[in-house]
Amino acid sequence: MKKIIIVCIAALTAITSFGQKVFTKTAEVYFDATSPSSPEKIEGINRSGTCVIDTKNGNMQFVALMKGFAFERALMEEHFNENYVESHKYPKAEFKGDLKNIDKVDFTKDGTYTLKVKGVLSLHGESKELETEAKFIVQNGNIKASTAFSVQLSDFKISIPGLVADKLSKTAKVGINCSLQSLKTNP
Amino acid sequence: MDRSEYAKQLKSITVKKKKILQYIVLPIVLIIGAIAIYFYKEYNRTHKDVSDLNADYAVTATNLLNEFESNEQSSNKKYWDKVIEVEGIAKDLVKDAKGFYTIVLGDPETMSAVRCSIDSAHNNEANSITKGKNIKIKGICSGFNSDELLGSDVVLVRSVVQSTN
Repeated sequence: MKKIIIVCIAALTAITSFGQKVFTKTAEVYFDATSPSSPEKIEGINRSGTCVIDTKNGNMQFVALMKGFAFERALMEEHFNENYVESHKYPKAEFKGDLKNIDKVDFTKDGTYTLKVKGVLSLHGESKELETEAKFIVQNGNIKASTAFSVQLSDFKISIPGLVADKLSKTAKVGINCSLQSLKTNP
Repeated sequence: MDRSEYAKQLKSITVKKKKILQYIVLPIVLIIGAIAIYFYKEYNRTHKDVSDLNADYAVTATNLLNEFESNEQSSNKKYWDKVIEVEGIAKDLVKDAKGFYTIVLGDPETMSAVRCSIDSAHNNEANSITKGKNIKIKGICSGFNSDELLGSDVVLVRSVVQSTN
């Protein structure tokens, strides 16, 4: 009897363990806004990005708290928060969009897929359409996702003072890495 | 102009030069030097270790989450960028692919939590915590995010484990 129950539970979890949604709360977001002529790196990294993806229809959402970006130099981090992204006024960066052709991805089998992503990125009180590609690697039941894109600072009304214009690039390169787990929702 | 007068004049010029050097040039050099040192230090300043900072607020994870859930804006004003000490049950200890730790505090029955990114200089203390125990963590509040599926999260950065009792 016990065995039957265990088998039943195992079978049930096998079915439900791959839910309709996958998520992470420890996505790594990296950005680099170093201009080619700058002697020092202007880069920040955030390791607590939140991402949720609906594996049925491709809807996705990504949120990163601006204050969560860590810089090597304390002064640079203060300038980033206070002068550039004004994170006290606009604490979040948010992306809402769709992954195209997500139905082609088999999350239960090992494989690598590249999908188009289209959506709207909001930060610093401004919103802008964004189109990029995301790579999914499924391996031993683990899902790793990564993407990279460029952000034009002027699109988000982030102004660059003349003093640092030669160091700070007008576009920031952004990279995201995360491993996703399936969301167990209560029926 | 005879020789002795010429010598006198020469002397007074060198005295004047000395005075200029002593009262004008030297202070200017000193001031510029001080400014340069200040900027150099300010530029190379590293982050303060949160364990050396006093907490602005001490709260429980549940109360902090409730406060943010009832009013995100006023709570952001109160807690954002502040050093806070949060007490709660260590729900989870997450180590990411690059070896960075996050301690998740809060009620194990809910998805909501206070997520504390651990200062990598304090990884050892983080690694030695026991899941399910009540602990205290000090960190800098970086904000709040709420999702109907994923629950609500308050995120602390540069956190350190304060006590494990």
